[in-house]
Amino acid sequence: MNNIFFQTENLTLGYGNEIVIKDLDLSLQKNKNYEVIGKNGSGKTTLLNLLSNNFEGNTFDSDISREATNILEISHIPTLLENLTLIENVIYFTSSMNIDDEKVNSTIKKYGMLSFKNDTIKNFSSGMIKRTELAIADIKEPDVLCIDEPLNYLDKQGIDRLQNLINERTDNNKSNILSSQETSGLLKNKETVDLNEI
Amino acid sequence: MKFNKHLIRKEILSEYRNNSSLFLITPTMCVLIIVFPILAENRFAIDEDLFIITQILFLILFSTLFSIRNPINHRSLTRELNFAYIKKSEYFLGKISSEFLIYFPQILLFSILFSVVTNSNVKTNIFTFILTLVFFSVNTVMVNIIFQMFTSFNNRFVQFILIVPIYMALSFFIAPIWLGVNLELINIYLLLYLGITIVIYSYTRFYLERGKL
Repeated sequence: MNNIFFQTENLTLGYGNEIVIKDLDLSLQKNKNYEVIGKNGSGKTTLLNLLSNNFEGNTFDSDISREATNILEISHIPTLLENLTLIENVIYFTSSMNIDDEKVNSTIKKYGMLSFKNDTIKNFSSGMIKRTELAIADIKEPDVLCIDEPLNYLDKQGIDRLQNLINERTDNNKSNILSSQETSGLLKNKETVDLNEI
Repeated sequence: MKFNKHLIRKEILSEYRNNSSLFLITPTMCVLIIVFPILAENRFAIDEDLFIITQILFLILFSTLFSIRNPINHRSLTRELNFAYIKKSEYFLGKISSEFLIYFPQILLFSILFSVVTNSNVKTNIFTFILTLVFFSVNTVMVNIIFQMFTSFNNRFVQFILIVPIYMALSFFIAPIWLGVNLELINIYLLLYLGITIVIYSYTRFYLERGKL
């Protein structure tokens, strides 16, 4: 299939000599949704970091083939720069694309963050940071969006916004990869990668 | 070569709001150089023979404090650049530019202040003086970023120990110029400095581009 953006057989990942994931076969396509589930320490975050090029551990010379594609990861660790304001963060993180102010403002408003746009991130709660990161993901429209523990920190309204984002992306044939301990119920048509079974 | 103005703006804004260099290191160094001649010779003047060596020593100290003020966290940097779709080679150029814009005015002001409070001056013209400071600033900034991007320091002390000898080597090129050698030698030293700057920058860019980082 031409839509495969990540493929590996017998993938082994770890930190130093400690192995976290062993002998995982994985083939991911651009227009499909995936849910990575597993208990604590099973390697969900490690796998998402690898997919989104944020992995800084040991791959034990595993054979990994990947196609250049726009991947964005929303991790449980905030990526936003805490000394900048919300709008400065949005402008910086979308600087690689030509996005007009109107789209930026309407997206920030959609995520209920417009009144905070001139506030610095260090004064934000975890939920507000996650909403801002979701807004940036919405603006950037990556081919693949990875979200680690998607429901963490979000209130009911935030979860609704996330659900809308995922539905819109699915309708536009874009891939979403979510990881959590149990199925989150956010993805309708999905394939499950169960790290408890390996 | 892509020049990302948003990256430079972000670095300058972060620096301004972080307050570690503009509002801590620079005033501290200024106080040090003001009290230095009083402590050394009990007057606002120092011996001509001592001037260049002490100015360079203070310059190295200032550069080192500036370099270790805000260490780059590898993991955060990778995450940030991937989130912004910025390549490491692009970041390298942007970071050099922003660090230079923050550092150069301070080091220029610092050098002028040093001359004022010690009642001494370098034995070269203003154009050459500024040019040597530009080369010194660009190289110290570049070396610092390279060290931080390609190595993981356990702490700032290790960074301090490794980086000071390199800054000393970089200052060897400016010392003869400030001491007042003739024009031909000044040109040779400046060309040497330019060559070193180009080699360091080009090799690092090549390395980053080759690795498609």
